[in-house]
Order: sequence, then C-alpha cells, then structure tokens
Amino acid sequence: MNYLSDSLLAAVVLIFSFNREVQLAVWTSLYTATVAIIVAAVFGVPVGLWLGLKRFRGRRLLITLLNTLMAMPTVVIGLVLFGLFSRQGPLGEFGLLFTPIAMIAGQTVLAIPIVANYVLACVNGADQRVIDTARTLGATQFQASIQLIKEIRFGVMAALIAGFGRVIGEVGVAMMLGGNIRGSTRTMTTAIALETSKGEFVFGLSLGIVLLCVALIVNLFLNMLQQR
Amino acid sequence: MEPVVSLKHLLFTRGSFRLSIESLELVPKKVYALTGANGAGKSTLLRIMALLINPQRGVVQFPGITTGDADHLRRQVTYVEQSPYLFQGTVSDNLAFGLKLRGVARQEQIRRISLTLSIVGLEGFEQRKAKELSCGETQRVALARALVFKPDLLLLDEPTANIDVNSRPAFEGLLARLPKYGVTVVFSTHDRFQAQRIGAELLCIRDGMLQAQDTLCLF
Repeated sequence: MNYLSDSLLAAVVLIFSFNREVQLAVWTSLYTATVAIIVAAVFGVPVGLWLGLKRFRGRRLLITLLNTLMAMPTVVIGLVLFGLFSRQGPLGEFGLLFTPIAMIAGQTVLAIPIVANYVLACVNGADQRVIDTARTLGATQFQASIQLIKEIRFGVMAALIAGFGRVIGEVGVAMMLGGNIRGSTRTMTTAIALETSKGEFVFGLSLGIVLLCVALIVNLFLNMLQQR
Repeated sequence: MEPVVSLKHLLFTRGSFRLSIESLELVPKKVYALTGANGAGKSTLLRIMALLINPQRGVVQFPGITTGDADHLRRQVTYVEQSPYLFQGTVSDNLAFGLKLRGVARQEQIRRISLTLSIVGLEGFEQRKAKELSCGETQRVALARALVFKPDLLLLDEPTANIDVNSRPAFEGLLARLPKYGVTVVFSTHDRFQAQRIGAELLCIRDGMLQAQDTLCLF
C-alpha cells in the first residue's frame, strides 16, 4: 500500500515540477488526438447524418459494418496503416511512418466509426419534424441538415468527446505508426507502456494522472456547454 | 386572375389510402378551408402543396415555375403542422430562420419579427425560450415564423387544434385578415362553422376525392 501511495505522491510532485518529458508526451497526445478528432468530425458527422436521414438498399448492412468498425482493435488499424505507410507500401515514398501524421491518420480511422455511430444514434433519436420544418421555411436539404446538427449539437459534441477519449487513450495505433520516438511521437499512453516496462512506475503513474485529468477537463467543458 | 397554385391530375397512394384530385386552382389572397373526415386526405393534400411529398402522378404548379425548382418554390410556400416544431433557442431565433435564408438584413429582421409577433398577439416574446412555451403559444410562434417572410401561400394543418376555446376567435380573426397582407391561406379543419366564421371557401375532401364546390359538405 505504501508503495502505491508513495508512487502517487511522487507522481504528483513530478507533474508539478513541469518535467519536460511529461510535458512533451502530454503535448503530443493532445495535439494528435485533437487533429484526429477534427478530421474524424469532417467525415464522421456527414456519414452519421446521411445514414440517419436516407433510406436506401444496403443501409442496414452499412450500419452493421460501422458497428463492427467501432469494435476494431487498434493494433489491427495500426497494422493495416503500417502496411500502407511502410517503405514497401503504396504510400511509402512519402516517408510518413513514425511521424505524428501517421499517428493522426490511424487515430482518425479509429475515431470516424465512433463519431458516425453516435451521430447516427442522435439523428434517429431527433424529432423527425426538424428537417420538414426547416424545408417548409425555405431551407435546402443541406441547410435543413445543418439545422438538424444545430438541434442535436450536444449529441454531436458527445460523439466528438467519445471519439477524443478513445483516441487519446489508445496505445496500438500510436505505438505501431508513431514508433514511440521521444520528443516526436511519444504520447502519454506509449510513454506509460514504455516507462512501466522499464520499471519507472512513478513516471507512468504521473502520466496516467495527467490522462485522467484531461478526461475530466474535457467532460467538465462538455457539462459547462450543456448548461449554457 | 392567375392562380397562386394549381393541381392537375393528381394521384397519391399509400397502401389502401388514395388521394385523387383532377383539378384544383387556388385564387390569390383568399382563405380556403379544407374539410373532411379523419383520413380523408387533408394533411396529405397540404403536404403535397407544401412540396414535402411527391404524388405518384400529376403536377403541382405555381405561377411561372414548375415543381422542378422545389427549393425556389419553398421560399414562397410554407406549411405549419398541427403540432409544429420550434427550433431550440429563442422565439426570435425561430422567426429569424426563414429571414436569414432569404438574406434579410439584421435590422430589417428585428423590425419584421417584432411586427409579426404583435400581429399574432405575442408582443415582447422575442427573447422567450421556444421550448418553454405553452401549446397555444407554440402554435402562434409557428404561425408567426411562417408569416414573417411574407409567403404567397400559407398552408395550415388544423391550426386551432391546440388553441384554447377563449383564444380561438382572435386566431380566427387573424386568419381572416391574412389576405389583406397578400397571403393566400389554406387550412384544414373539422369544423365547418369555423370556415364560415373566417369567411373561407370550403374545399371538401371525401374518400380521397375533392367534392364539387356546390356539393353539401357532409362527413
């Protein structure tokens, strides 16, 4: 028990000493996860809207596929993209493997099904009169869809937060596509995995606390927005 | 006089339901009351005229424009449902929606919103939360939201269904006055006497067919 409490104390001290290693890992995690979730929103929100609003043959199949992708292990995504970005792969000539861009690509692939599925659930749960009302007031289909997003904005925000939580906490993609390079692609999660395997439990724990704090801050922010 | 809307050889079917209208022309600046039993096809006809659903056969024509320009037409025609939906935000946000789509300047928006709210008897409601209104207030805001951009054709599905008996005369009086503002009104109702009070021309639907205008409208 002492070991745990001592480690916890040491971890807190490490955070407030503004350790450079911790700062870099936190920055890389936040930066890659934020960019990934923005790109995932650009693709995921329209996909969720489209699947929620349109009725066509094969829609059920697509939704099942999207659900399956949500449960896709991160190492599998990492593996597939590793094949794409590796030197022999089709995108090998760009030299993206073990760069933050490769990590962002992987995290985006990871987040899109989550965002799309959440948005789909929001559209299905939204009042069916929103689109018709907007249309009768002169909106085009696109403008009516934008209005629908406004009406379900808290659900869309929850979708983005869920996606953000998933990508900032994942290890597989960051490890396989980022390579865990100190000061470049080392994220909080890959640093935790590395430092703990080296026996640096305190360092790992301090990053774990920061990770929890990030989740807390993001959720507090969401709550604040919902209350406005 | 050129009709505000004309329907020709219209056929709409869904399951066992069938709505068939050979010809109907609505004259501008008049009030029409669409009457008929439940399931006769009143709401379906209104939704077809609002271009929300497409008939299997026939055309809905507006002067000089065909249904191919549906987005453009929707700027001239509007439809208020029996249980209207108000967007989140304030009453003012709701009324501003159609004005913004039409590129009306901010100052003009404020002026028109204030004027329209006073027409429907909701002066000072601009900053009220739309989701916190009563059913009757919601109905009036929905009407104001439709009127604020001065539509040529206003379609109302049982507009007084959610309004209490005491407030109905004022609402009916408002419907009767709308042609003075250049609006043609078509509203559905089960109450033939309401149509008489408003001075509306009766359009009677029975079994999915529009009855001849000199036919006694019984349902």
